[in-house]
Amino acid sequence: MISSPTKNLKTRVGQDSLVPWLFSLPAILMLLAFLVAPFVLAIVFSFTNLRLLSPIPLRFVGLQNYVRVFQDPIFYRALGNNLLFVVIVVPVQTALALALAVLVNQKLRGVRVFRTIYFAPVVTVMAVAATVWRLLYDPDAGFINGLLGAVSGGAVHPNWLRSTSTAFLAIIIMSIWQGVGFQMVILLAGLQDIPHDHYEAAIVDGASGWQQFRFVTIPQLRNQLLFVVTITTILAFRLFDQVYVMTSGGPLDSTQTLMLMLVDVGFGRQRIAQGSAIAVIFFLIVLSISVAQRRLIREETT
Amino acid sequence: MRRWALVLALFALLGPACGGGGGSTTSTAGCTGKVAGGPVTVKAWFHSGQGSERTTITSQVAAFNASQNDVKVELVLLPEGNYNDQVKAAAASGGLPDILDFDGPFLYNYAWNRNLVALDNCISPDLKANLLASIVKQGTYAAHFYGVGTFDSGLGLYTRKSVLAKKGIRIPSGPQDAWTADEFTQALKTLQGAGFKKPLDLKINYGQGEWYTYGFSPIIQSAGADLIDRRNYQSADGVLNSAAAVQSLTVFQSWFKQGFVDFNVDDTAFLKGQSAISWVGHWVFADYRKAFGDDLVILPLPNFGKGSKTGMGSWQWGVTSKTKSVDAAWAFINYLLKDQQVLQMTGANGAVPATKSASAASTQFAPGGPENIFVQQLESSAVPRPQTPAYPTITLSFQKAINDILNGGDVKAALDKAVQDIDRDIKDNDGYPVKT
Repeated sequence: MISSPTKNLKTRVGQDSLVPWLFSLPAILMLLAFLVAPFVLAIVFSFTNLRLLSPIPLRFVGLQNYVRVFQDPIFYRALGNNLLFVVIVVPVQTALALALAVLVNQKLRGVRVFRTIYFAPVVTVMAVAATVWRLLYDPDAGFINGLLGAVSGGAVHPNWLRSTSTAFLAIIIMSIWQGVGFQMVILLAGLQDIPHDHYEAAIVDGASGWQQFRFVTIPQLRNQLLFVVTITTILAFRLFDQVYVMTSGGPLDSTQTLMLMLVDVGFGRQRIAQGSAIAVIFFLIVLSISVAQRRLIREETT
Repeated sequence: MRRWALVLALFALLGPACGGGGGSTTSTAGCTGKVAGGPVTVKAWFHSGQGSERTTITSQVAAFNASQNDVKVELVLLPEGNYNDQVKAAAASGGLPDILDFDGPFLYNYAWNRNLVALDNCISPDLKANLLASIVKQGTYAAHFYGVGTFDSGLGLYTRKSVLAKKGIRIPSGPQDAWTADEFTQALKTLQGAGFKKPLDLKINYGQGEWYTYGFSPIIQSAGADLIDRRNYQSADGVLNSAAAVQSLTVFQSWFKQGFVDFNVDDTAFLKGQSAISWVGHWVFADYRKAFGDDLVILPLPNFGKGSKTGMGSWQWGVTSKTKSVDAAWAFINYLLKDQQVLQMTGANGAVPATKSASAASTQFAPGGPENIFVQQLESSAVPRPQTPAYPTITLSFQKAINDILNGGDVKAALDKAVQDIDRDIKDNDGYPVKT
């Protein structure tokens, strides 16, 4: 039998282009079913009067849901809070994570214990952590005011979660505490990837400790830092659990967030359609910020 | 081509999702009188509130299952904190059990959405006549009977006789001579002066939820306002944001501004003696009684001008349209309404028994008993929460307003916002038309 090599080659090429698709089919189907389809549905729903439970027939209402969202003062409050959260948490948390990563990268005895301690909050369920922090923030019986009182002689006595001026700050502090370990681990992995001879060369060139950090460590960590900044921004926009548990958006909407508003409107008040409109707006905001970030600082291909 | 196929597929997904939001397959036939086809297993959901309630319902289910062979009840306990949310989610996804217990005023929305089966031909006339009027009233929507509680609720001011007597504060004898709002505020001031740093416990630790509506809507009702215009349930304007409502809630806000209210983070403000007065429902009775014995007294809520008012309504049982057998489901509910069972439950949770015969058999609620005030209130000054499918929105809007007010927000603005929300919701639902 004479086989035609060209034909064999052709079929193999044909198979090769089909096989990857077959392998990714389950994942693609899942993405379509659980990510793309719900999002397309949300867009469609946002133009209807759909409610969670209602025998009233579905009808299209045009832009009404969007108009209502944009007329709602709580929406601007929530958006403002989300932006404030991003503006404070992203730089502070990244800087702290970097500092911690450098600290626990030292070759010292027992450094693993510290790594574990700093990482522990990340693996704690947020709702549990938030419940504990609510007790810590109690103005009279809480640990934090106890500490502040001891240090300041009773002069500083904030009513943390019940005052409009401190509630959001309290959420921010707690969130940084909870999230910083995750970034630390990513940056730590990056630190350990930096070849040691870079530092040796720098030392030969007479670089000081700070100069080594500034001109070797930071540039080498560029990709990890970019990842951390992007992911922290997105997570910061999704701020929900800790606020839901600690303040449910109060007092006086001072800790309101877009996610909280979405759940309240869409599920609590059963207005799925208006909730969908918020989801679409939320998606567009996060998308444009992520795209802008990518444009500003392009990832280096190594 | 391929893109079009995708779009079509998505719309195929969209179709059932839209339909699912609306009516569900309903079995509205009600009872036939007997459980057909051998042993039937029915699933019942119960909110797991207090430990004692949980133990009681579990033993009641076991006793019911052992007492006969036709019906087997499977009990599922769900956390109380977001119980309503779980029911809502189950109703939206078609996952309701056969039997459901739910916080009273949500009945109208479930019934309107045809999630519940009318029980008119299930309940015997004798049993219906034996139920407290408040229970029948709250179980009825659009002239049909949809749900029944085995107990009703009571709301009052728990305090200690000895503490009031020492400061010369008058002790009212019943709803008719309740403290006026001014008298109450003055009493708080006196008690604060007497060393109770935060004399009033409003159970703020329960958080923004049904408690805010149940516990604090009697304030505006006592002033002559209400949550909604009950003549036709179409608007809250001029009622919820009326001058009377604003005035009474401004007094409520002043208690916070003057530092009378304990935020009660660990739920022990009254038990540990930081607060002298605890504004709360029947469910704390057993714990408070254990701590203070005969010194404990329950007083009516203060009178804001039109007489002391109080809440009514508690958890109710209903049969969902998803049930396999209405008769089997009803057999269980009927069992829970026997005097002995009612007394077992109310003995555990301190609530008012739902049947007149059970109430008469209990020393706690008989005249002179420590909880008799709750029976008096149900007969005279209790106001049901609005009997309309708009209730879920009414309560959420009012809760939000209360939360804003107790945090120092503008009272009128908070109530105006609530009115706007409620009226818009009613309009969006075409006025919640009753379909029969």
